[in-house]
Amino acid sequence: MGLPARTPAADPSSGDRRRGRRSWRSAPPLTRRAAREVVFCLAGLPFIVFNPVAFFVVAVDLSWWISRGARGNPTATDVAVAVISVGVLLVLLVSTTAARRLGTLHRRLAARLLGVRVAPPPVPAGPTWSGLRDGAGWRVVGYLLAKLPVSLIALYALFFWVGGLLNLSYPLLWGAFRNHPPGVRLDPVPVFTPFGLFGDGTFRVATLGGTFAAAAAGAAMLLAAPWVTRAVASTDGWLIRGLLGPGRLARRVHDLELSRASAVDDAAALLRRLERDLHDGAQIRLATLAMNLGMARRKLGDGDEVADAAAVRELVDAALRGAKDALADLRSLTRGIHPPVLDNGLADALASLAADSAIPVRLDTGIPVRPTPAIETIAYFCAAELLANAAKHSFATTITVRVAGKRAKLWLSVADDGTGGADPSRGTGLSGLAQRVAVVDGTLRIASPPGGPTTVTVELPLRA
Amino acid sequence: MSVRVVIAEDAALFRAGLTRLIEEDGHQVCAAVGDGDLLLAAVREHQPDVVVADIRMPPTHTDEGLRAALEIRRRHPGTGVLVLSQYIETRYTARLLQGNAAGVGYLLKERVADVAEFADALKRVATGGTALDPEVVGQLLRVSRRADGVAALTPRERHVLALMAEGRSNAGVADALVVTGGTVEKHVASIFDKLGLPPDEADNRRVLAVLRYLSS
Repeated sequence: MGLPARTPAADPSSGDRRRGRRSWRSAPPLTRRAAREVVFCLAGLPFIVFNPVAFFVVAVDLSWWISRGARGNPTATDVAVAVISVGVLLVLLVSTTAARRLGTLHRRLAARLLGVRVAPPPVPAGPTWSGLRDGAGWRVVGYLLAKLPVSLIALYALFFWVGGLLNLSYPLLWGAFRNHPPGVRLDPVPVFTPFGLFGDGTFRVATLGGTFAAAAAGAAMLLAAPWVTRAVASTDGWLIRGLLGPGRLARRVHDLELSRASAVDDAAALLRRLERDLHDGAQIRLATLAMNLGMARRKLGDGDEVADAAAVRELVDAALRGAKDALADLRSLTRGIHPPVLDNGLADALASLAADSAIPVRLDTGIPVRPTPAIETIAYFCAAELLANAAKHSFATTITVRVAGKRAKLWLSVADDGTGGADPSRGTGLSGLAQRVAVVDGTLRIASPPGGPTTVTVELPLRA
Repeated sequence: MSVRVVIAEDAALFRAGLTRLIEEDGHQVCAAVGDGDLLLAAVREHQPDVVVADIRMPPTHTDEGLRAALEIRRRHPGTGVLVLSQYIETRYTARLLQGNAAGVGYLLKERVADVAEFADALKRVATGGTALDPEVVGQLLRVSRRADGVAALTPRERHVLALMAEGRSNAGVADALVVTGGTVEKHVASIFDKLGLPPDEADNRRVLAVLRYLSS
C-alpha cells in the first residue's frame, strides 16, 4: 500500500512505546530525567504520613491514649473507634471532592516531573458536594493506599543517593576532619550499602585506605541509584495512570463518543458526496440528454419531410451516448452504495473485487461463520480502498488478500510486495478507514516500512 | 429578434448543448464560461442582453451562479438574468426577485428539453420580462398563507394565475390554454378582483404583485 511517504509510519502509539523502552535501556545515570524522578520520589514522601494506614495507626493510638492513658494494650474498642473515624474521614475526603483535588495534585506532579500525562476523570455534574458514589474520589483513596509501599521503596531509593554520596565523600571528609597525629585511635565510620541497616551501614572503615573502599561502594550505589528511583517512579506512574485517570468506563464512553461523532460525520459526508455525484453525474447527463432530444424533436418538425436528417441523427446519437453514460454513472454509484454481490457473502464480493484489480490478486478466504451485513460491508470497503491504494501507490506486482474468521473476529489482511511507506497521516484514505473500523470497535494496523512490503490488517468483530 | 447571450455552466456537455440550442434559435452566444468570476468578466466585456447561469458552479459548488446573477442585476440593470438549476429553492427565488421581477428567470435545467418553451422564456427575460419555473409557482401556491384567497378562484382561474405568475403575457397564457386573448383578459380581471389586487398592465409588475400576494 505504499502511499508516497518517506516516514516509516505505523501505529503512533507503538512508536512511542518503542521510544520509551529505548530510553529506559540506554539513558545515562545522571540526566535531567533522573533528577526529576528523584524530586518526584521526594515529593511523594509526605504521603507516607498522609495516608489512610497512618491515619488508622494514629487513630488507634489516640483512642488508646484517651481511654486508658496509653497503658496496657490497645483493645478491640480502640481499633473499632479508629476504623470508624478513619472511615468518616475518608467519606469526608471523597464527598467534599478533596480526594479529587489530591488526585489532581498527583496527576500534576506526574505530568510535570515524569511526563506522564493522564486525563482527569470526568467531573460529575452538580455542586461541589459530590456524594459517596464518586468513583474517581474513591480511586484516589485507593491510590493513596497503594502509594504507601511505593513511597517506602522510594525512601529506600533515596537512600541509594544519600548513602552513595556519603560513602563517596569519606576520603575527603577523612582528610578534612580526621587528620590526627599517628597513634591516635579513631572511631570507624559506617559504610552504607543497600544491604545494611540505614544508620549502621554494612561494615565500618577506620583507615584512610578503607575510605577508598567506601568511596568505591558509594560510586556503585550512585550508579545504581537512578535505576532504583526510575523503578519507583515508573511504578507510581503506572498507579497514577490506572487509578487517577478517567477510569475504564469513562474512557470507554469517551472512545464511544469519538467513534459516534466520526460515524455521524462519515454518514453526513457520504450523503453529501452522494448528492454531489448525482448532481454532477447522472442528473446533468440526463438534462443534457433531454436537451438533445428536444432539439432533435424540433428538427424533426411536424411534417413527414425531415430537412436536416444528419443533424437529427447526430443529436439522437448524442442523446444515446448521454443515456449510456448516465446509466454507467448510476451503476457505479449504486455499486458504491451497496455492491449487490455482497448479498452473496464477503468471499464472492472480494473475488469480484480481486477480478477488477489492475494488479494480480491472490485471494485466500476462510469464513466459517458469516459476519453481520454491516461488518461485511465495512470489510468489503476496506478491501476495496486498500486494493485501490495499492494499485495507485505501491508499484506492487502481486497483492495477497486474506480473510479469516476465528474467535468471534474477522481478520482481513491486504499485503503487497510494493515500495511501502504507507502513512495514515498523509491523505485521508487510511485514517478514514481506521475511523470507519473504529466505529465497530475494530482496529486497523499498518506495517509499511520504506522499501516495502506493506501489510494492512483489519480486525473486526463478527457482529456489530 | 436576435439577442446576445452569455452562458455560465460548469458541465461542459450541457454548456455545449445550451450554446447550440440558443444559436440554432438565431441568437448570438458571446461567451460560454464555467464559473461565476468568468461570468462577471464576460458580462463586463460583452454587455449581453441576457445571461444564462447555473447556480452551482466552482469553486465552492454552492450558489456562486446566484451571487453572480445578483451582482449582474445590480451592476448591469439592462441585462436579463436567467438562472438554471437542478432544483428549486424558495430562498433563492426570494433573493432573485427582491422587489423587482423585470428581466429575471429561474428555471429547472430540465426545462431546456422543451426547446420552444425555453426559447420563449429566454426571449422574455432578455426583453425585461419574467420566467419562473412552474415548480416555483407551484411551491408558492402550496405554501401560501393566502389559501382562502386562492380557494376563491375557479380551477380555470387558478390555472391562469399559475401561468401568469410564471411570467407569461396574456397572449402567452392564451397560447398555453388554447383560448382567445379576450377570454384570458376576462379571467385575469376576475382573478385580480377576487384577490383584491390593483390591475396592472406590465407583465413583470403583474408577476410581482401575484408573487407578493402569495408569499405575504
